[in-house]
Amino acid sequence: MTHFPLRSMPNASRFVPDPTRFTAVKMLYCAERQRYGLRHGLARMNDLFESSDPARSPSPQRVDETSADAAWRDTLNRTLSAVGQEDREAFAALYKMASARVFGVILRMVRDRAEAEDLLQDVFVTVWRRASAFDPARGSAMTWLITLARNRTIDRLREHRETALDEPEALAIPSEDPTPAALAEASQARQRLEACMQRLEPQQRGVVREAFFSGASYSELASRLSVPLGTMKSWIRRSLMQLKMCLEQ
Amino acid sequence: MNTPANHDDELRCAEYALGVLSAAERRELEREAGENPLVQANLHRWQARIAPLAEDAPPVEPPPRVWQRIQRDLGVAPEVRAARRAPSTWWDNLRLWRWLGLGAGIAALVLLAVNFSSLMHFGQPTAVVSPYMVAAIARQDGVTHWTATVDTRRGNMVVVPADKSVIAAGRATELWLIPPNAKPIALGVFPADQPASMALPPEILAQMGDNAMLAVSIEPSGGSPTGQPTGPVVASGTIRPA
Repeated sequence: MTHFPLRSMPNASRFVPDPTRFTAVKMLYCAERQRYGLRHGLARMNDLFESSDPARSPSPQRVDETSADAAWRDTLNRTLSAVGQEDREAFAALYKMASARVFGVILRMVRDRAEAEDLLQDVFVTVWRRASAFDPARGSAMTWLITLARNRTIDRLREHRETALDEPEALAIPSEDPTPAALAEASQARQRLEACMQRLEPQQRGVVREAFFSGASYSELASRLSVPLGTMKSWIRRSLMQLKMCLEQ
Repeated sequence: MNTPANHDDELRCAEYALGVLSAAERRELEREAGENPLVQANLHRWQARIAPLAEDAPPVEPPPRVWQRIQRDLGVAPEVRAARRAPSTWWDNLRLWRWLGLGAGIAALVLLAVNFSSLMHFGQPTAVVSPYMVAAIARQDGVTHWTATVDTRRGNMVVVPADKSVIAAGRATELWLIPPNAKPIALGVFPADQPASMALPPEILAQMGDNAMLAVSIEPSGGSPTGQPTGPVVASGTIRPA
């Protein structure tokens, strides 16, 4: 396979044509099946509720929520897999199931409704196109969706902020730990993560949360919290490694 | 190339998943993850570790217009289907361009032969008057993947797929012009499996002389981050007058 010599030729005059100048034949999705229905997703969800195994939950008093949550996640995995097979009913079901959660995360990060809507649209269009790359063996559908949504949002934030760095940023809003009530309803993965988060220094835990929910870069976080960049990096890096060790126990 | 799962990779995957890297650092890690399955797996693990935090954000029901826009984008909303159909003129006709591309390729060969024989007869080259130039962009094994037709008068180029190409998710095909003894010039990302047309400014057109080459490399979805090809070159072909 041929490779161009890479680093030896820096800064060649670069011409990137305006992508709108490309005209391309867009495939029309089969016209005869344009109506979405929810039968599929709901039927699958009911099947799962009947067959889910209560023995999988850790504490007897939380059997119902935990198995319901596991069943919900299982359904979401199957639904996203079906979307990967270009099943449009499954796509509608997936949107019904997950859009509010995904939108909640995006909105928390960009704090601008119009932009959040734009991103949600972009994310789900990408979901339809890329769902065949989803592999349930490698991770859950919720992780896949949240990761896709956060990556898109972070990229969008970088586009804005790396051009306008002097934007007056809101004062550091401490990201608060989840309330015990909220945590009780959270997934097992979320509860485990919180147990490990609680082992971090409170300030560093706050910074990790702030980083996650703001999508801000190291330098933005440092200036927002008035901390030297090196300090910010070492706080976050140490916290991440501590979290990893704790989660792998 | 990175050694697998070293401490630096581990940290950068963690930082990527949390979302604290700059745009350039993000692109760099995405590129490495695309090339190195170990980095890719590490990144997946970190995303799975971090993603549960998202549950703390309360769900917010999006307005119905977002779903309508998604359907419109995917070309399934009924009122838009009619609108979409209208502009599918001859310009968007894949078959037409394939035949045109093929025809142009054959014409180029014929003209070459004619030129060659007239050269033999008269001992001097015949001026080529055609405003068109063509290139068959082929794999190393000779299979043509795309044909490019350049209209030098109008300053545009049409690239037509001649064979079905499968590009990995998150990757894109980028087209490069390589003038003789010069660096590749990025012409932009183009859809691998659909005909595409692009405008060529005069400074690019000027480089499209004889013996210049067109090449296609596999890049991250937004195109090469460096301005030079970063991925493997999958096909190339010399530009010839048609």
